[in-house]
Amino acid sequence: MMTGVALLWAELAVGLLALAVLCMDFVAPRLDKPVLGYVSVLGLAAVLADLVQRAGRVGGLGFSGMYVLDAYAVFFKALFVLTAILVLLMTLEYADRLERGQGEFYAFILLATTGMMLLSSASNFITAFLSLELLAITSYILAGYLRGHPKSVEAGMKFFVIGGVSTGTLLYGISFVYGATGSVDFKDVAATILNRESTDPALVLGMVLVLVGVFFKIAAVPFHVWIPDVYEGAPTPVAAFLSVGSKAAGFALLIRVLLEPMLAMKSSWSVVVAVLAAVTLCFGNLAAIPQRNIKRLLGYSSIGQAGYLLVGVAAANELGIGSVLFYLLAYLLSNLMAFFVVVIVSNTTASDEIDDYAGLWRRSPLLAAALTIGLLSLAGVPPLACFFGKFIILGAAVQEGLIWLAAVGAVNIVISLYYYLLVVKRLYLWEATDPRPLPVTLVARWTLAASTAGVVFIGVYPSPFLEWSLAAARVFF
Amino acid sequence: MSWLTIIFLAPVLGVILILLTPAENKTAIRRLAAAATSVSLVVAVGLLFLFDRDAGGFQFVQKVAWVPSIGISWHVGVDGISLVLVLLTAFIIFTGVFVSFSIEQRVKEFYIMLLTLVTGVFGVFITLDLFWFYFFYELSVIPMYLLIGVWGSTNKEYATMKLTLYLTFGAVIALVAILALYVMAADLTGTYTFDLLELGAIAFPQNTQILLFLPVLIGFGILVPMWPFHSWSPGGHAAAPSAASMLHAGVLMKLGAYGIIRVGIVLLPEGAKAWMPLVAVLCMANILYGGYVAMTRRDMKFMVGYSSSSHMGYVLLGMASLNIIAFTGAVLLMFAHGIMTGLAFALVGWIYEQSHTRLLPEHSGRYGYDSANARDPSQAKYPELSGLAPQLPFIGGCFVATGMASAGLPGFANFVSELMIIVGAFSVYPVQAVLAVFGVVVTAVYYLRAIRAVLFGPVNPAWGKLRDARLITERLPYVVLILVLLIVGFYPSLLVDVIHTGSVAVMEKVAQGATIVVQERP
Repeated sequence: MMTGVALLWAELAVGLLALAVLCMDFVAPRLDKPVLGYVSVLGLAAVLADLVQRAGRVGGLGFSGMYVLDAYAVFFKALFVLTAILVLLMTLEYADRLERGQGEFYAFILLATTGMMLLSSASNFITAFLSLELLAITSYILAGYLRGHPKSVEAGMKFFVIGGVSTGTLLYGISFVYGATGSVDFKDVAATILNRESTDPALVLGMVLVLVGVFFKIAAVPFHVWIPDVYEGAPTPVAAFLSVGSKAAGFALLIRVLLEPMLAMKSSWSVVVAVLAAVTLCFGNLAAIPQRNIKRLLGYSSIGQAGYLLVGVAAANELGIGSVLFYLLAYLLSNLMAFFVVVIVSNTTASDEIDDYAGLWRRSPLLAAALTIGLLSLAGVPPLACFFGKFIILGAAVQEGLIWLAAVGAVNIVISLYYYLLVVKRLYLWEATDPRPLPVTLVARWTLAASTAGVVFIGVYPSPFLEWSLAAARVFF
Repeated sequence: MSWLTIIFLAPVLGVILILLTPAENKTAIRRLAAAATSVSLVVAVGLLFLFDRDAGGFQFVQKVAWVPSIGISWHVGVDGISLVLVLLTAFIIFTGVFVSFSIEQRVKEFYIMLLTLVTGVFGVFITLDLFWFYFFYELSVIPMYLLIGVWGSTNKEYATMKLTLYLTFGAVIALVAILALYVMAADLTGTYTFDLLELGAIAFPQNTQILLFLPVLIGFGILVPMWPFHSWSPGGHAAAPSAASMLHAGVLMKLGAYGIIRVGIVLLPEGAKAWMPLVAVLCMANILYGGYVAMTRRDMKFMVGYSSSSHMGYVLLGMASLNIIAFTGAVLLMFAHGIMTGLAFALVGWIYEQSHTRLLPEHSGRYGYDSANARDPSQAKYPELSGLAPQLPFIGGCFVATGMASAGLPGFANFVSELMIIVGAFSVYPVQAVLAVFGVVVTAVYYLRAIRAVLFGPVNPAWGKLRDARLITERLPYVVLILVLLIVGFYPSLLVDVIHTGSVAVMEKVAQGATIVVQERP
């Protein structure tokens, strides 16, 4: 059993790394900025290796119950660190387009990751709010990073305004919960609700507002409106980071809030989450069909993917939560692979329009194959990772009797396949207007190859990853 | 390590080796593909003779735990039914690789997609685990998208998208039923398992069986293609390159029927008994409507495509009758029709490659609206196909043999199978059996017309430059396929005895409607 500051070793490592990068940035001349990126990647890789190696053997509650380290938290921390590594590698490809502040960019990603890691361990509404704010504010800055580009500034502003509203809603809800139960600790609130005989309207209102704040973060419909514009305008690595990291962080909090303080109200929220899941699935996938910009398409696609994750949350049994965690891992690799290719292609073509991907098979077979595998994995095609994720999420839904929800999820597999194939069609079936080969750096090649191998391996042999996810989910059951 | 896993891994190894070969080395790629598929074929033929006809049950079994926490295992084994289908797949892919030697564009990607597709198909036929069944079933759909979209012809973008989405839709309908089966089995027995043998031993409540059979029937039926879910099929066949059509009509459509048998009839026998009368009616639409439409097609690939749908109607009739003779005939027809349709698509593909047109001449009959005509005007501007027999004696001869086989001429395997189906169906659905006989006449009409018009009409001098199949690699596929049809046609017990062991087990399950434990042999 660990106590005190020792529990925070991973967050401290990443946070200190962020500060170190900031300091080094002051002394590093412009040409050496990529070194900061590589230093961050190596540092994060060390943290990830340490987390994975210590996975089963750590645990503890600290800071008077404000911070909990359990298998669930460790799983998410590893996920966030992996996300940050891939996003940083992506940024190294993108770095020339960041006119100013390249060094601080790396530091902001690291700080956001720290926020996310803290969020996964929050066992108290205040800790949750603090970490959420750390994540949110760094995200706003990152979204509006390209100060010279009106689209990026617009994205940053929109994100800031909507994010601010959602944070305000969250805080308002927390205040009601505190008022009704006298505590902000998850376990205490759960015990209070259990002992109560009637449902306090203030408590219900508080919980609803808290959930609304969290739903903004994961971009469930109808709280999704910020996604397309922010993803399109923000620098592509930031869009990638938001689509995976921010979403996973939102789910980490959502699951903990639903299954710890709100456990006693399960019969009420289960229906709400199920309906929200169905609406999110349908809207996200249908709205992606007419998109002509690949970042907007990936944005709407991520809304659809959040729908699948919500199906697992609605099921809320061991397989349901375990499948959400597994799916987040599979989704992480697939989505970041797709964004990686988008960065490399747009470096040469200076375009994010889907039609400009025509004939990519000729210009760079590696990029076309990597993008196809990423998109087909997102679509849920075997033998790729997200197929198994969708399979067990729908299985969990059927287990809980939500057959209608499983049917909605199943039909959406077909709908999403359509728009992913629209991109694949351009990659392989159409001819390129400019047939010159696309340059791909060595680091990018290795990263894409490793991600592809990961996606295929997880899809064909999911057992160890599923075991890990189920072990993390068992924390709640 | 089971022989079946070797059959499955041979194309996988082929894909890996081809990935490592540079794209310019087309000969090496073709040789690798031929080598991989010949391994599968040799092992499959060997298994046919190693199969213990007296013991029956599932043989060459291998079981390895894969995801124990949810009950998934790598469990493979074949009974009489699936062994014959594995053999069919092996023959079709082997010959398909040779037929594809004429492809010159993007050869590497073509063979990767083709071998990935066949891996999925082998996987479906050998697996005894419901998860892997669905896994390989869906895996078989996507490579088709690229095969048709890149190397296809008429209206390929529309056809391939429609085909892929329609088939995925069918797969996900079946998925919901599969998950419901899985959860219900766990509720009844307390253990979570996807193992087909364990699930087959569970007696599901009758109402559940009837309820769940419908999504299984529709989901897998879409691939058969059961009328009215067939509209993806003609366009898809017409657009696909020859080897893809051979695989698709020859093998993929059998996946649907196999799914109905393995997941529907064996696991949900009460449901089968309840819904089969409906199938018996729908299959008539397949046989007669499909046949009549085939008669009005001017594009030969559409004609063969509708002919395939039509013959799958016979398979459905055999399955719907739920008795030993008809069922065995249905499985034998799956084999025979697969081979025959592979032949037909390969031959039409040969003519198309040489002449760039597949249209039957105007003078040979009255034709209906042919969407291919309307959307592929490039074909219409070529001279009419007519009198090709003197120019293409070998291909012409094979075409005649194919037409005769399709019409059910005794001596070919199709005759045996169609006879068994009609005899078996007559006792249960006499009206349908009689109408099905007329389907034979309809088949003869459109094939004979095509043969007369294209091969034996007035010789069109515009076709003086057409090449006949001369090299061994060009003639081999047609010779192999025709020989198979003749051998099975003259000595059907080679396959019928094997299929029989499987049908007996299925029919016993249907008769009892409840628990039957199917034998396992290591």
